[in-house]
Amino acid sequence: MGKLRGNLLPPALAIVFSALLCGLALVLSGANPLKAFGAMVNQVGEGSTAVDIINSTGIYYIAALAVAIGFQMNLFNIGVEGQYRIAAVVAAIFGGSVALPPGIHSLAIIIVAAVAGAAWAAIPAILKVTRGVNEVISTIMMNGIALGVAAYLIRRDVFGELRGNNIRTPEIAESGWVPGIPLGDNGTLFGLVFLAIALGVGYWVMMNRTRFGFELRASGESATAAAAGGVNAKKMILVSMLLSGAIAGLVSMPEILGRDHTYNLNFPGGIGFSGIAIALLGRNHPAGIAFGALLWAFLDKSGLALDNVGVPREIVTIMQGTIVLSVVVAYEVVRRFELASEQRRVGRELASAGGAA
Amino acid sequence: MSSSTSVRTDAPAVVLTGITKRFPGVVANSDVHLTVRTGEVHALCGENGAGKSTLMKILYGMQPPDEGTIEVNGEQVRFKTPADAIKAGIGMVHQHFMLADNLTVQENVVLGAEALHGIGAKARRKIQELAGQTGLNVDPGVLVEQLGVADRQRVEILKVLFRGAKVIILDEPTAVLVPQEVDELFATVRGMQEQGFTFLFISHKLDEVRAIADSVTVIRRGTTVGTADPKTVSSRQLAEMMVGSELPSPETRTSTVTDIPVLTVSGLVLSAPDGRALLDSIDLVVHSGEVVGIAGVEGNGQTELVETVMGMRKASAGTVTLGDDDLSKLGTLARREAGIGYIAEDRHRHGLLLTQPLWFNRILGYQTRKPTAKGAWLDREGAKRDTERIVEEFDVRTPGIDVPAAALSGGNQQKLVVGRELAGDPKLLIASHPTRGVDVGAQALIWDEIKNARARGLAVLLISADLDELIGLSDTIKVMLRGRLVADADPSTVTPEDLGSAMTGAGSTSAAVHEEGEN
Amino acid sequence: MRRRMRGIAVAAIALTSVMSMSACAKDSGGGSAAQNNSGGSGCEYAAAPPAAPAASTSAGAGDKVDGSALKVGLAYDIGGRGDASFNDSAAAGLDKAVSDLGVKKENVKELTAAPNEAEDAKQTRLRQLATDGYSPIIAVGFAYAESLKVVAPQFPNVKFGLIDAGVEGAPNVTALTFAEHEGSFLAGVIAAYQSKSCHVGFVGGVEIPLIQKFEAGYFQGAKAAAPKIEIEKKYLTPAGDFTGFQDPAKGQEAAKGQIDKKADVIYHAAGASGKGVFSAAKEAGVKAIGVDSDQYNQATVANEKDVIVSSMLKRVDVAVYTFVKAVAKNDLAALPKVFDLKVDGVGYSTTGGKIDDKLKGILEGYKAQIIEGKITVKDAP
Repeated sequence: MGKLRGNLLPPALAIVFSALLCGLALVLSGANPLKAFGAMVNQVGEGSTAVDIINSTGIYYIAALAVAIGFQMNLFNIGVEGQYRIAAVVAAIFGGSVALPPGIHSLAIIIVAAVAGAAWAAIPAILKVTRGVNEVISTIMMNGIALGVAAYLIRRDVFGELRGNNIRTPEIAESGWVPGIPLGDNGTLFGLVFLAIALGVGYWVMMNRTRFGFELRASGESATAAAAGGVNAKKMILVSMLLSGAIAGLVSMPEILGRDHTYNLNFPGGIGFSGIAIALLGRNHPAGIAFGALLWAFLDKSGLALDNVGVPREIVTIMQGTIVLSVVVAYEVVRRFELASEQRRVGRELASAGGAA
Repeated sequence: MSSSTSVRTDAPAVVLTGITKRFPGVVANSDVHLTVRTGEVHALCGENGAGKSTLMKILYGMQPPDEGTIEVNGEQVRFKTPADAIKAGIGMVHQHFMLADNLTVQENVVLGAEALHGIGAKARRKIQELAGQTGLNVDPGVLVEQLGVADRQRVEILKVLFRGAKVIILDEPTAVLVPQEVDELFATVRGMQEQGFTFLFISHKLDEVRAIADSVTVIRRGTTVGTADPKTVSSRQLAEMMVGSELPSPETRTSTVTDIPVLTVSGLVLSAPDGRALLDSIDLVVHSGEVVGIAGVEGNGQTELVETVMGMRKASAGTVTLGDDDLSKLGTLARREAGIGYIAEDRHRHGLLLTQPLWFNRILGYQTRKPTAKGAWLDREGAKRDTERIVEEFDVRTPGIDVPAAALSGGNQQKLVVGRELAGDPKLLIASHPTRGVDVGAQALIWDEIKNARARGLAVLLISADLDELIGLSDTIKVMLRGRLVADADPSTVTPEDLGSAMTGAGSTSAAVHEEGEN
Repeated sequence: MRRRMRGIAVAAIALTSVMSMSACAKDSGGGSAAQNNSGGSGCEYAAAPPAAPAASTSAGAGDKVDGSALKVGLAYDIGGRGDASFNDSAAAGLDKAVSDLGVKKENVKELTAAPNEAEDAKQTRLRQLATDGYSPIIAVGFAYAESLKVVAPQFPNVKFGLIDAGVEGAPNVTALTFAEHEGSFLAGVIAAYQSKSCHVGFVGGVEIPLIQKFEAGYFQGAKAAAPKIEIEKKYLTPAGDFTGFQDPAKGQEAAKGQIDKKADVIYHAAGASGKGVFSAAKEAGVKAIGVDSDQYNQATVANEKDVIVSSMLKRVDVAVYTFVKAVAKNDLAALPKVFDLKVDGVGYSTTGGKIDDKLKGILEGYKAQIIEGKITVKDAP
C-alpha cells in the first residue's frame, strides 16, 4: 500500500517527466514526438528487436546487480566497467585454450570470469581497507588500466589472433558454448539470460534472508550503528567489493558464450556505467533493477528506429539521463514525505490510544 | 567576575520569548525565555541534550522557531538564514571550527563576505585592525593549517567581527582548549566586553561559567528554568538547577552486589593518533549484581572507555576480561556474543537503523544468535516474535513492529534499545547515558529495568551526566578525569556538588569522595 | 595478513607501471637524433628508384551506367557523415553515385553507429535497411563484419558491400578492402623528404591491426627513403577503446609530444582526432600528413590546412562508387580484389603545392616499384 506507492510512484513520475522533457526537446528541434515514440514502440515488433531487448535486459541486469551490492553499503563501485572487461578477456582466453567436456567447459569459463572480475575488484577493495583509498577514484583508474590490459592480452604476440581487420581471442570450442533458445527470424534468446534471473533471486535471498545481507544493509544505513552492532566494516568492504566484482565478471558471459565465442575489438563498452544508472533507478531492489534494465534495453534497442524517422537517436541518451536524474530527486522527495507522514500517523495512533508519545 | 560596568546598559541586546521548537516525536525547546543585556557575558548552561544547541541554531537563523519571538536591540526580528542574523549583528563561533586549512587567515576571514571590504588591501587593513581585539598576533597571510587550536578559534572570532557582529555566540569554546588557553580566551572575552561586545557563552562546565559570566541562564529538558547571578549563586544551586530535583528517584538501596567479578579491566590504555593518551591505565572491576557508575565531565574519556571495552576501538595496552574469558583480542561482535549488552550514548548514531522497521533493529548486534538468526540465515519470525515481546514488556508505544524506528519518539526508541540489549540474558550491560533525551515516564521505566536486571545478577557499567541518576542507581561511583579514574565515591553519602568538584579536578571536599590510592 | 595484502598492492602497482612504461616506449630508428640540422635537410637519402610515368588506371571511365533503380543504404561506423575522414570519404562516394549514376536522393538511406554499441545494434541497423528494401547496402568499417555474417544470409538477394573486411561463406557480401600499407609507404617517403631534422612521427587513433597497417607502411617507406631516419609513434587509445578516433585533444597532445622530441613531419591515422594533430603542427610550425580523404580540402580543418603537405588517400569513395556501379551493371566480378596502388584505391594527394615535381618523381618511382612487386610492403609492424 503506502510502501508500494513510495516505491513505484517516483520512477513512474520520473519516466513521465523525462518523456515530457524529451517530447519538448523534439518539438523544439522540429520533430514530431508522437511519431518518434510511435516508431520506438513499433520497433519492438520488428525483426529481432524484442529478443534483443530481453537479451540486453539480462546483461544490464547483471551489471546493475553488481553495482547494487556495493550501493547497499554505500560503496560506489564505478569499476564494474573494468571488471567485466577484464573478466571477459580472461574468460575468453581461458575458454579458447582449454578442452573440456560440454557443460563443464561452460561452467569453468563462467567461474573463471567471476574470479577474474573479483580479482580486479580486489585491488581497490584492498587499497580501501588497508590505506583508506577512496574506491571511486581507484575503481575509475582501474577501468583505464583494464582497457590497457585487455588490449595487451589480445595482441597478436600475446593471446590474440587476427581476423581480417579484427583481432580476437581464440574461439571457444562448441563444448564451452551455452546454447540459446532459437526463435527463428526473431533472433536467439541467450541461454544465460536465465543466469541473470538466478542471480536476481540469489541477490534477493542474500539481502533479505542472510546474516551477510543484514550486515550489508546495516552498514549502508548507518556505519556507526553497524559498528556498535558488531559488524566488521573492513570485512564487509572487502567481501562486498569481491562479490560485486565477481558478478560484474559475469556481465559479458551471455554474449560471449551465447553468440560471440570470443573477445574481439567490437566488445561493447559502457555497460558498467549503465549498470550504475539502472541500480539507481531500481533502488537496489531486485525487481526494481529488472524493471530499470528492461527500460534501459528498450530505449537502447528501439532507439535505433529513430534514425528511420529522421529523429536524432541521441534523444534516447537524453531520456536515459533525465530519467535517472529525476528518479533520484523524486525518491528523495517521496522519502521525506513518507517519513513525515509515518511519524504523524504513529503520533495520531498513539494519541487516539490515549498514550503520550 | 571582574567585569567592568562602564559600557553595560540596561537595554537588552537579545530577548527570546516563548521559543518552542518541535522535531518529529520530540520537543527540543519549549517556552524558552532568555534576556541578554548589552555588554554582558551571558552564560547558557545545561546538560548535553538539554536543548542549548537547538536554541542557538534558532537565534542564529539556522532553524525557524515553531512559536515565540526574537528581539534584537528592542526590535522584533525574524531570521530566515544565518545571513539575516549576521545582518542583525549576531555572530556564531561554532565548537567545531569551520575553516579551510589550505587558505590563509585573510582568505578564511574574507571568504563569503567579499562584499563588505573587498578582498584586497582594504580587507587586510580591516583584519589587522580587528585582529588585535581578538588577541591574534599572526600575519593575515599565514595559512590556517600552520595555526594552533587557540589561534584558529581567534580566527573564527575574527570572522564574525569582520562581518560586523556585536553579539557573539561562543558554542562550548573551551572544549578544545587546554587550561592556559582557556585563561587567554577569557582575557580576550573580557577585553572585548570592555569595548561593548556582548557574549552568549554556552557551556556545561560550572567552574568556567562562574569564572567568566555576568549572568547565567540554565536550560533543562528543553526549557529555561531560571536566570541567576553567578557571583551570588552557589555551585550546588546551579547544579540543582541543571539536573533538576523533581525527578523520580532512582534510589535502590538493597545491595545485590556479589563478589563474582564479571568485567575486569586492567591497565587499559588508548592512545590518540598523535600519541596523547585518551585512556590512561584504567583498572576497573564490575561484579555480578553491581552497578558501577562513571562520573565525569563529558570528553574526559568515558566514550573512549566504553568503546574500547566494546572493541570498537583498539586498545593500545591492557586487558578486558568477562568472567573467565579474555576479550582483549576479540572484535565487537564476539564481545557481544560473550554476553555484553550495549546501550550506546547516541541511539541515533550507534543504536538504531532509523529507516528500518523495529524488528529489523532487533537483529542488530544479534545477527549471529538465537532468536534472530540460525547459522548464516536470519530468523525473521524469531526476530519479529521477540520484538513483539519487547514492545509488550518495555511498553514501547508503537502501532506495530513494522514502522521505521525513526517514527518513534526518543523515549520509545530508547526503550526498544534497552529491551534489545537486555535480551538474551547478558552478563554485563554497558549503559551510556541510558535516559538522555527521554521523557520522565521512559526514564522511570528504564531505571526499573536496570534495577531488575541488577537484582537478577547482571553487572552494569553506567555512564551518565545526570548525577542524580548516577548516585541513585550506582553501587560504586568512579570519577573520570582526563582519561584516568581519579577518585571513588560512595553513592550512599555523596552529593551532586561533591561529585561535581571531583569531576572538575578541584579536589575532594567531602569524606564521600576518596582520591584514588587514598584508601 | 595485512602485510600480505600490502604486498599484493605493491605488486599490482609495479605491474601497472611496467605496463605503462612499455606503452610509452618509442620506436627509434637507427642513428642518433638530428645529426646535421644546419644542412637544411638532415637526412641521407637512399637512392631513389627511377621515376616512372604516372600510369593511372582510373576504373572504367566512359561507359554510361544507370543506377536510378537502385535503393542504396549506407551504415556508417562511429562518427558518420562529417567526420572529415573515413566515413566522409564513403559519403563522397555515395554522393558521386547520386550525381553520376542517377541514384535518386530519396532512395538513399544513411545510418550511423554509436560508440560502444552492442553487436545486436549493428545487426538491427543492417536488418532495418535490408527490410526496407535497400540493395546494395554498404557497411562502412570492419566492425560490421560479425553482424553481416549473421544478417547477410537472412537476406540472400540483397547485395552487401563491406569496407575494410570480408565475410567468409557469405556470397552476397563483397569485401572492399584497401592496401593502406602501400599508400602509407608513400606517406613515409613524403615525410622523409619533407623533414628537416630527419625525424618524423606517426599518430594512430586506436592500436588495432587496421591502423597498424598504416604504421607498418609508413615506417617502411620512411626508412626506405632515409635509412637513418628517426620515427616517433603514438597510439591514442588501446584496442577496444575506440574513442581514440574521436578525440582531437588527445591527438594534439600526442603530436605535441612528438614535436617536442624534434619530429617535424607528423602522419596521422586517427580519424577525427587528426584535427588535433594538425593544430599541434600549426602551433609548432611543422608539417603534417593527412589520411583517408584529401584533408587539405576539408572544411573542418581549413584553419590548419597550410601544414598539410599531403594526405594518404584511402579511396573509400572510389570503392563505394565502384561497388554501386558494379551492382547497377550487375558485374561484381569486375571489382578489384583489393583497392591498392595499382587501381588507385590508395595514393597520395598533392593539393596545396607542397610536393614539388622532383619529389613527385621520386614518389612515382616508388609507386611503380610497389606495383611491379619490386618492393613488398609489410602490412603489420
